Amino acid sequence: MNVAEFRSNLCAWLDENDLTPSPDDHSLDAHHAQHSRVLSVLYDAGWMRWGWPESAGGLGGPAILRAVVGEEVVGRGLDEPGPYSMLEVLTPTMIDYARPELAAEMVPLLLSGRETWCQGFSEPGSGSDLASLSTRAEQRGEDWVVNGQKVWTSFAQYATRCILLTRSGPPGIPNHEAITAFFVDMDTPDITVRPLRTMHGVDEFCEVYFDDVVVPADRMLGQPGDGWRLAMDLLPFERSTCFWQRIAYLYSRFDRLIAEVNDRGVQDGEDDAALGGAYLGLHTLRCRSRDTQYRLGAGTRLGPDTSIDKVLLATAEQHMYDAAHDLPAGTIELDESSWRTEYLYSRAATIYGGTAEIQRNIIARRLLDLGKE
Amino acid sequence: MDDAISADDLDMLADTLRKTMTASSGQALDKALVELGWLEMLEEMSDTAIPLVFRLLGETGAHAPVINDVVLIEAGRGAGETVPLPYAGGTWVVWERADEPTTAVDDETPIHRVSSGEDVPLAAGRRALGWWLVGTSRAMLTLARRHALDRVQFGRPVASFQAVRHRLAETLVAIEGAEATLGATTDDFGSLLAKAAAGQAALTAAKHCQQVLGGIGFTAEHELHQHVKRALLLDGLLGSARELTREAGARLRAEGSAPRLVHL
Repeated sequence: MNVAEFRSNLCAWLDENDLTPSPDDHSLDAHHAQHSRVLSVLYDAGWMRWGWPESAGGLGGPAILRAVVGEEVVGRGLDEPGPYSMLEVLTPTMIDYARPELAAEMVPLLLSGRETWCQGFSEPGSGSDLASLSTRAEQRGEDWVVNGQKVWTSFAQYATRCILLTRSGPPGIPNHEAITAFFVDMDTPDITVRPLRTMHGVDEFCEVYFDDVVVPADRMLGQPGDGWRLAMDLLPFERSTCFWQRIAYLYSRFDRLIAEVNDRGVQDGEDDAALGGAYLGLHTLRCRSRDTQYRLGAGTRLGPDTSIDKVLLATAEQHMYDAAHDLPAGTIELDESSWRTEYLYSRAATIYGGTAEIQRNIIARRLLDLGKE
Repeated sequence: MDDAISADDLDMLADTLRKTMTASSGQALDKALVELGWLEMLEEMSDTAIPLVFRLLGETGAHAPVINDVVLIEAGRGAGETVPLPYAGGTWVVWERADEPTTAVDDETPIHRVSSGEDVPLAAGRRALGWWLVGTSRAMLTLARRHALDRVQFGRPVASFQAVRHRLAETLVAIEGAEATLGATTDDFGSLLAKAAAGQAALTAAKHCQQVLGGIGFTAEHELHQHVKRALLLDGLLGSARELTREAGARLRAEGSAPRLVHL
């Protein structure tokens, strides 16, 4: 099946099976319920399984099929981009690093929306410098015991499992060889989840505390010391299929902005400049992201070049919401609407997933070969 | 997509073109390109020929009046002549085929104002200039990168300072983004956007590379200024980034939504 045919079949199916969320409830709980519902229906119909290997409950086919499904699901507003994008970073990690039986057992639970998982990476003392993380894992008999704190853990309050990065082994091991990943059940005793209040008013990020949390050895992902590689290996997915979903989301919001500008009826050249500038950023990003996915599909190993995609995405996202802020001036400040939430959230686009500064450092060092700082 | 030429042949052609452009410019290069089969390539494999020739013009810093050929062929007219071309500000220019004195900021290129012109199709011309601007941007980035590595201040290469590194990184992002839009483009609107992205990338490159090159980049003996001036001149030709961006905005309002011009 070619990609265009796959998309048109999917669109026809989505046109016939209405999965539109309730327009009344914008709470995080409602989003979560809608997320689970959409995944469940799409999994049963097969759509959520394309692009994943059969060994993990998928139906096979290239990863680009997942990008097409994501584009439609998120672009049509059936699911929020945040929760949906988690699939793309969690699933490849399980397939590549979990024991095959564990991946086969668990991945369908995630893709079908029966479970939500989270990713315990960042810590209060380890943001950009992720490799400095200090959550400890110590071996005790057959088990490992985890102590420490994670932060910015998205949707941890809904999560049944966590892909967790820890520091293991004796002191003195270089950071990049000292990190070990686990697949942790969130109902294990002595895990505490506390949602963070953030400036955009949506409590999707959490602090997660681990106090002598016992994790069986067979829940280790890969070998001791594989954790850094695991974290790096998910970047190609985060920055290809995942970005494509976000781009679809931004286009759908931009459509809405254009419609609202037209509805108001008064336009001038400045409006056109603002809309055109935002669109140029989105179009550039979309062209770049398509190239990236074709390269991934052709078997190219994606590396530091995806830092360019990341900078383009963060820049385009903020540019688009800057336009939303200005058209018309005063709306975000004075009127309650989803634009305010989205505008405020967009301020984080140059922070999460690797700050804009870290991306530029990578581009300078790895792509421009400028030597060390 | 043109299948007329193999990858090896393309490399050889690129080599030949690069040598020719390094050796000559202006009227002489115009003639040399015709001898190398430029007009046949433009007729038979324009999707390959336009990116190749125009990007190399940018990278080498050479110039030739071949944008006339691209516009004339798209208009269904004969190549080898000149045609009035729209310029920023609602004006018109002619890019002469002979080497003549000019008042243009880029004083190598024989471009001058004319009072009027006739509407001509611009998509292919915009793509061509987009590739040229990308090539010019690459040339500026190469110069600035080399300088940053060679120039020592405070006992270390200025390339080791984050402020300098980030300017160069930002330049690369702009160039790669513009290249993606050029590579994805087949229609009118896509060509408009690609020209805008390339113009913007070139202005970004000019700003950052000029700054990184410091004093030496401001001298006439250093070649940067020729690229900066060419970027300025080419950005205005067939519509500046600023104007095209505004035009894109007007078109979005007219359509009522944002076209997804490329798909997986």
